[in-house]
Amino acid sequence: MSNNPSTATDLQATVIPPEQWVDQYGDYLYRYAYSRLRDANASEEVLQETFLAGIRYAHQYAGKGSQRGWLLGILKRKIIDYVRMRAKHAQSRSYEDETDPSLQLFDAQGNWKTAAFRWSPQPDEQIQEVEFRQIVESCLDELPETQRAVFQKSVMDEKDSEEICKELNITPSNLWVRMHRARLGLAKCVETKWLNEKEELGHVE
Amino acid sequence: MLNDRKASELVTKSLRRTLTDALTDEESDALEKNLTDSKELEAFAKLSHKIQISAVEIATLAEHGDVTIGPGLSGEARDRLKDSICAVQSGDVPLSDAEQRLDSQEHKNPLKRTTLLPSDSAQPWPQQMVAEQGIPYQVTDDARIGESRFTIIRPLGKGGLGNVWLARDERLKRNVAIKELNAEALQSEKSWQRFRREAEITGLLEHPSIVPLYQYSFDKSTGEQFYAMRFVGKRTLADAIIEHHERIRLGERDDAGLGLHRLLSIFLDICQAIAYAHSRGVIHRDLKPENVALDNFGQVIVLDWGLAKLSEEGELVNHLSRESNIADKALAQTVDGEVIGTPLYMAPEQASGDLDHVDERTDVYGLGGILFSILTGCAPHETSSELVQSSLKEVLKLITENRSPEPSDYAQSVPRELEAICIKSMAFKSYLRYDQVSHLADAVELWMAGQSEKKSRYENLRMEGRELRADLQSSIRDLETNARFMSRLPPIQELITAQADQEIAVWRERLTTIYTGLLTAKSDYQTIAYCKIEAGVCTEVVRVERHSTDHSNIRPVPRSRLRKVKTNQFLDTVMQQKPEEVLTSLVCDADCEPQDNCFGDDDVHLVAAVPVYDQNTEEPYGVVLIDCDIDRVMRRQVSEHATASEIIIACDIHHVMMRSHFGHVVEDSISKTVAEETPHFCQAVEVLQNHLEFIDETNTEIYGARLWLNSNRHGLMYLLRSGRNKAHP
Repeated sequence: MSNNPSTATDLQATVIPPEQWVDQYGDYLYRYAYSRLRDANASEEVLQETFLAGIRYAHQYAGKGSQRGWLLGILKRKIIDYVRMRAKHAQSRSYEDETDPSLQLFDAQGNWKTAAFRWSPQPDEQIQEVEFRQIVESCLDELPETQRAVFQKSVMDEKDSEEICKELNITPSNLWVRMHRARLGLAKCVETKWLNEKEELGHVE
Repeated sequence: MLNDRKASELVTKSLRRTLTDALTDEESDALEKNLTDSKELEAFAKLSHKIQISAVEIATLAEHGDVTIGPGLSGEARDRLKDSICAVQSGDVPLSDAEQRLDSQEHKNPLKRTTLLPSDSAQPWPQQMVAEQGIPYQVTDDARIGESRFTIIRPLGKGGLGNVWLARDERLKRNVAIKELNAEALQSEKSWQRFRREAEITGLLEHPSIVPLYQYSFDKSTGEQFYAMRFVGKRTLADAIIEHHERIRLGERDDAGLGLHRLLSIFLDICQAIAYAHSRGVIHRDLKPENVALDNFGQVIVLDWGLAKLSEEGELVNHLSRESNIADKALAQTVDGEVIGTPLYMAPEQASGDLDHVDERTDVYGLGGILFSILTGCAPHETSSELVQSSLKEVLKLITENRSPEPSDYAQSVPRELEAICIKSMAFKSYLRYDQVSHLADAVELWMAGQSEKKSRYENLRMEGRELRADLQSSIRDLETNARFMSRLPPIQELITAQADQEIAVWRERLTTIYTGLLTAKSDYQTIAYCKIEAGVCTEVVRVERHSTDHSNIRPVPRSRLRKVKTNQFLDTVMQQKPEEVLTSLVCDADCEPQDNCFGDDDVHLVAAVPVYDQNTEEPYGVVLIDCDIDRVMRRQVSEHATASEIIIACDIHHVMMRSHFGHVVEDSISKTVAEETPHFCQAVEVLQNHLEFIDETNTEIYGARLWLNSNRHGLMYLLRSGRNKAHP
């Protein structure tokens, strides 16, 4: 042990007392939670639950891997619980149909309405990845909760359909409908915001 | 060929990354063909693909702790998290409690989960706002300026839960009142819920006496909820009650009756508002004068519905459950055993936290408390010595164990009937109270109507008193006119200059004839005489008198029976008058002494006397006197005015000259003092020493009127008492 002091020091450095968790891991865990929940209030709460669970099960942390990673694991679990609870509550509300972007994009025969999509960046147009990502983030915020949960679990967490259906307590067809609506809604939102930004830039220039 | 909707669905499916979701060959072919033909589909596919890459990137960056992804923890959120960890670490809060609390919030308190709301509701909560906008979570007055249509002007008041501000609605250019939670309540989740419920309940209760809500919203800068309502001014019923009792204390009794009437009118308006709320299943539970605003135009507004309880049978509870975001019905009720409200106005069942028994009659008790305050100027239990320096717990114990207070224990001159209404409203057992607020209102209204009748009766009494005085004044003017006329007759001067007996006899006869005619015409006149005054001796020249018992017998006094007496103060004063100046006074019969020297068992007469001047020498020669039988006048007066239950006519030294009971003269009272005979008139007598009238505003029973004679030196007072019963005095 004493022959390898750096390893011991590193190990000790990764185990910090709960009083310092907020300063050390707060931002990181909060950002993660927010990237999944898109809700500051909810993110703060799952973070609080994570910390309390961390205190309760501190003895279970074996020191394998970083303490931050261990807390992230708890956080992910808390996020799943939270999303499940939220999905359960959302099911009792029947506003899902109110946010179907298909109605805006397709006519009665299922064909595109005029100028449903105009996305076609010019060959010389450089798409700024950070800028685009920010737009995607803001559009994720605007997505209805039921659709966002499906999109995040499918795309961002790369879960398979069966797992998502189980977590959200929905049928595969329901998942499919939500996923499609999420993609349509996101695409329309991102296109609109992107074009608006370009337009504003054009005016400035 | 697929239609566009189907094709887009295939695009979505193709973007799934798991093999199980892959497209079939047929689907791939169809999609390929559509992509070639439709630019929109191609744009959608490309864009969705790029979004997918970006979303994956966001997820990856977040996992790696990239600071460009999303917002970090706000200072406030950081503090809250630290606090909760420290509380658990230090042992102040058991870990299980902290977890349970979070758990209960999560599952039982959807209010806090504002993100569960439909996106169009856009109702950010403080923490969310803080996190999104990075604005410190604190209350600042200026923060609303520019962020909202309202500009804060100044604070109006503070309540248990919230602060109220005067604000300017910049869009509609009008002043409004804005209510928001105070700093302490902001920390309480329950306070948030109650505040919202208050706003919703207030908004759903549409009644002229319930404050109209203009807007319920959130402050953009702090995320705090607030609601804007009509600004009704700062004056509350509590202020009006204090003012009323202050006036009484300072002796402004003229306002007392009117003030009580106004306060009771306000009370009836409150009853109407509460009856309406009850009809919609809402029980206020915090009724007190401070929660009733009075605007400058007499409108009464019931405020503060923050502690209202919703009846499960009421229609409003359904509105709240369906339309509001308080989906959990349990939240619409308070926790059993919880004590809420204002202790001093609290019904026993409320003070004991027995919420199962809190119903409309609890508000009846609260209204009784307001009535109590109107009658006494203080809150129920307020001056109880047992409550001095008692803790809240002890106060509540006292309320739940002791009988309700009675107004007369706290104040004098509380109308008996009103006190009975108040006592019934505040009965310890709720089943002994009025069943409905409307019944309480009816009782008060009936009392007020009775008061109106009493007032009307009193007005009649005042009229009667004034008529009596005016009648006597008219008689006196008539007497004086006649005296003056009698002194101008030609025989008066002829008798001064006549020397021969025959000539004197002729003029005496003529004067006697005229005087006899006057006495015949004026049945109240007892005597008329023409006297010569010389060297302190009064010598009657002509005298005509009415028989003391046979009033129809009018006789000239023979020359041999004419009197010659020493002058008295009254005659000396008359002789000092200028020609035709009449002196009228109450005098004793015997020697025509002024009343204040001889009042007792003697008959009192009203005498008008005019000096007679010798036209040749222009020196005073004598007087013409007319003696009016005041007793006869008074008897006629009281018999004609039988409305008053009792009439007293008294002289300056408070001797009763006449007393009647419903028009019948009470003979044995005469010449006794007012204080001996009728002590209830003493206050009026005292006031009439310096005033022309006494008006009894408190009890509306006594009226007094003063009549001055003889240049305000002497006079009479009429004392009247109203009443319906003809019981013997």
